[in-house]
Amino acid sequence: MAMRDLITGATSCPDPSASSSSQNPLGSLANALLGSSSKNQERLKEIPTSTSTPSASQFYSQPHTQLPGSEFDKPFLDANSQGSEFLNRFRSAGAGGFDETWDEIQGDGNQLRLYDGRGQLPPQLHQPTLDGTPQRVLSTFLHSFLDSSRGGIPFHPAPLPVLGLSEGDKQCIRDRSSIMARHLFADKSEEFIHAQVNALLSSLDIDSNVRGKGPMPERHRELEDYWNESQGNLIQGAHASDGWITEFSQNRERYDNPDAWANSFEQQHGANGWASEFEHSQLSSVDQMRGMNMSNIAAMEQTRMLANTLAQNADPKFQNSKFLQFVSKMSRGELIIDDNQVKESALPAPGDWATEYQQQYNHGDAWAGEFLNNKAYPRAGPELWANEFATERQQNGAADDQWVDEFSKLHVNDWAEEFGQQIGEGAFGEGSSDNWAQAYDEFLNEQVAAKQRSDSSRGVYVFSDLNPYVGHPNPLKEGQDLFRKGLLSEAVLALEAEVLKNPENSEGWRLLGIAHAENDDDQQAIAAMMRAQEADPTNLEVLLALGVSHTNELEQNAALKYLFGWLRNHPKYGTIAPPEMSDSLYYADVARLFNEAAVISPDDADVHIVLGVLYNLSREYDKAIAAFEQALKLKPQDYSLWNKLGATQANSVQSADAIAAYQQALDLKPNYVRAWANMGISYANQGMYDESIRYYVRALAMNPKAENAWQYLRISLSCASRNDMLEACDSRNLDLLQKEFPLQ
Amino acid sequence: MADSSSNLKSEAIIDLMKQHFSTDAGKKLTEKIGLVYQFQIAPKKIGINEVTYTVDLKKGEVTKGAYEGGKPDATFSFTDDDFVKVALGKMNPQIAFMRGAMKIKGSLSAAQKFTPDIFPKPSKM
Repeated sequence: MAMRDLITGATSCPDPSASSSSQNPLGSLANALLGSSSKNQERLKEIPTSTSTPSASQFYSQPHTQLPGSEFDKPFLDANSQGSEFLNRFRSAGAGGFDETWDEIQGDGNQLRLYDGRGQLPPQLHQPTLDGTPQRVLSTFLHSFLDSSRGGIPFHPAPLPVLGLSEGDKQCIRDRSSIMARHLFADKSEEFIHAQVNALLSSLDIDSNVRGKGPMPERHRELEDYWNESQGNLIQGAHASDGWITEFSQNRERYDNPDAWANSFEQQHGANGWASEFEHSQLSSVDQMRGMNMSNIAAMEQTRMLANTLAQNADPKFQNSKFLQFVSKMSRGELIIDDNQVKESALPAPGDWATEYQQQYNHGDAWAGEFLNNKAYPRAGPELWANEFATERQQNGAADDQWVDEFSKLHVNDWAEEFGQQIGEGAFGEGSSDNWAQAYDEFLNEQVAAKQRSDSSRGVYVFSDLNPYVGHPNPLKEGQDLFRKGLLSEAVLALEAEVLKNPENSEGWRLLGIAHAENDDDQQAIAAMMRAQEADPTNLEVLLALGVSHTNELEQNAALKYLFGWLRNHPKYGTIAPPEMSDSLYYADVARLFNEAAVISPDDADVHIVLGVLYNLSREYDKAIAAFEQALKLKPQDYSLWNKLGATQANSVQSADAIAAYQQALDLKPNYVRAWANMGISYANQGMYDESIRYYVRALAMNPKAENAWQYLRISLSCASRNDMLEACDSRNLDLLQKEFPLQ
Repeated sequence: MADSSSNLKSEAIIDLMKQHFSTDAGKKLTEKIGLVYQFQIAPKKIGINEVTYTVDLKKGEVTKGAYEGGKPDATFSFTDDDFVKVALGKMNPQIAFMRGAMKIKGSLSAAQKFTPDIFPKPSKM
C-alpha cells in the first residue's frame, strides 16, 4: 500500500475541496481539531529537537533559561519568576517523544487543512517524508490513519521500520488512537473502530490488549485516570499545589468544586462547537493584533491571556481531561454533527493572519498557528509560547505576577474552557467570525474599562474630567440656562460644577439627573437623582424621576418604591397611602391607590403621569397610553410627556404612533437626545435599520456618552449590513458616522 | 406585574418579544432564524430558581415554560441581569459565553444565530 497515497489523501480524499464539508464532517472536524496553521510545518523544522531528537528526555532536560526552538532565542527573563515556574511544571508534565510526534501529525494535518480550504496544495505536500527519524515516520503513519477516517475506508496496516517506541509511548498511542478512532468513526460500528485501531497498532507493533504491564510511567498513569474520568468516574483530587496553580484552583472553586470544570464543560459545551470557537478566538486574537486601536494595554492583556491559556495547559489533568471529555462524549454518540455544522469556512487562511501578525510585530512569526497547534494538543511545543510570553513581558515590563492576578480576575477558567471548545470545527459564516473577533476585542476592552463601569453601575455618580465650569461663580444658574437652551451636555457639566461646590444642593442634583435622563443616560440619571433624594427625601419630582428611570431600567421593585414614595409624600394624596404599606409593596395595591387619587383629582396631570408609568411597569400598555393621553390633554407642552407616550406606544408595538409622538417631543425640544434615540429604536424594531442608524447617530452627535445608543447603533449597523462602519462605531468616530448617515 | 411572582427584568424583554411577533419585522425574524430557543433565566445564579421561557422563532411564539414541541434547537441559561445585557446589546453573546455568563445546550450552530438583534429594544420614557 502506498503510504504516499494515504498521506496525500489520493485515495481517501478524491475531492479535497468538498472533503471537509459535506462528505465527512467528522473528518473535517478532526482535521480542524488538528489545527490550521500553514506555518506550522516550517516552525517544526525550526525546532531542532522536534525532528532530530529521538528521545524526549533530552529535549526537556535542556536548561530552563534557554528555551529551545524559539525564533527569538532570547533567554527567558527570570528563571525564578512565576512565569518560568509554570513552564517548568509544564515541561515536567509533558515529557515524551510521543508528543513531538503528535505535534508532527498536527503539522501535517494543518497543511491538509489548508489544502482543503483553499484548493491549493503546498508543493511539499506531494512529497511526504517516509524515511527519516522515527518521529517523522510515525507522524506520517499516524496521519494516514487520520486520513483514512475521511473516506471511512478501512485502514490498511503497513510495514514500518523499527521505531524503537518505548512502552510508555506505545501505551500513549494505544490510548489516544482508541479515543481518536471513536471520535473519528463515530458513525461506524464498534467492530470497525476496533479493526481500525488494531490495524494501526499492529503496524506499530503495539499489543492492543496490553494494559498496565510493568511499572507505568507517571504520565501514563495520569492518562489512565483521565480516561476513567471521562468515562464518568470522577476522581476527586487536589493536584494543585503552588503558585498560580493554587490561584487557579481557587478560581475554579468558585465554580462549585475543583473538578466541576470537567462536568461543566460537558454541560456548557455539549455540542460540537469547541473546535470552531477556538478557531474564531484565533481570529479574534489576530484581529486584535491588526486592530487600529491596539494599545499597549491590550497587548499586555493579550499576552496575559495567552499565558493564561498556557498556564492552563501546564496542568495535564486539564488538557487531557477536557480533550477526553469531549472525545468520550463523542464516542458515546452524545454529540451530533450535522452537515451544516461542519462546513468549509470562508475564514482567511491561517497563514494570512500569521503573516499579518509578523508584519505588525516583527518578532514572532506564526504564533497564531502555533497557538492553534498548542491548544489543540496542548502539550506540543510549549516553549514557543513561553518565549513569546517572555518577550512580551520584557517589552512591557509587566510585573511577574500581574498576569496571575489577572488570571483569577478574568474567570479564565471559563474563558479557557470556552477556548478549548473552540478547537476544531472550523466552520462559521463570515459574519460570525467578525463577531468573534469583535467579541474578543470587546472582551479585552471590557477588562480595561471594568473598574470604571462597576463604579457607575453601583449608583455612584461619575463626574466628568476637566470640567470648565469648575470655579464658575454661579454654576447652578449657568446650568439652568444651558438646560433651557437645550444644551444638555453643557448643562451637565455646569451642574456637576454646582454639586461639586454644593453637594447638598438638591436642585442641582435633580436638574443634573433630569439632564442625564434627557440625554439618554439612565445610570447617571439614577445616580444623580439618588443624591438629590438624599438631600431632599420628599421632593416629588425627584421621586417621580427615580420611578421613571428605574422603570426604564426594568427594575420593578425600585420603581414601585419610588412611585409609592411620590404618593406618600404628596400633600394631597399622602393620606390615602397607608405608611405601613411601604414595607411590602405590591403592584396591585399601588395601582389601586393611584386610581383613587385620579378619582380625587382627575385634572391633576401628575397623577395620570405616575399612573402611566405604573402601567408601563406592569406592561399594561393600553392603560398606560390612556393615562398619558389624559395627562397630555392637561399638559400639551410637556415634551417629556410626549416622549413617555411614544415610548409606551413603541413598547406595545405601535411604532407608527410612537414616531408621531416622538416627533411632537422633538418639535418642543429639538435637542432631546432620548427622543432621538427612541426614534432609532422604533425604526430598528420595525426592521428599518437604515433609518434607525440615522437617528442613533443624531442622538449620539448630541450626546456621545449615550451608551445605549452606541450599542443599538452597532446592532443596527450589522443588521443593515454596514459592517464597514462598525469600526467607526467602535472607535466612536462621530464625524465619519455623521457624514455617512446624515439625517435628512 | 402580569405575574407578580416573577420580577425578572428579562420578562419585560420576553414580553416585548411576544408582541414583536405580531409585527412584520417579527414575522421576518421567524423566516430568518426558524429555530426554537429555550431560555432559562435565574434571578441571581445560573441553575437556581430558573424560570423557563420558550421563544419559538419558527412559529413566532413566546411561551413561559419548557418547549413542548420536542427538543429546542438551543437552550440558554442566564442570570436575569446577563440576559438583559445580552438582549439589549450591552454584552454580546460571545462575550457572555466567554465569561460563563451564558451557558448553552444543544446545537452550537443554532446558538450562533442567537444575536441581540433578534430582540426588540425597549423604548425609554
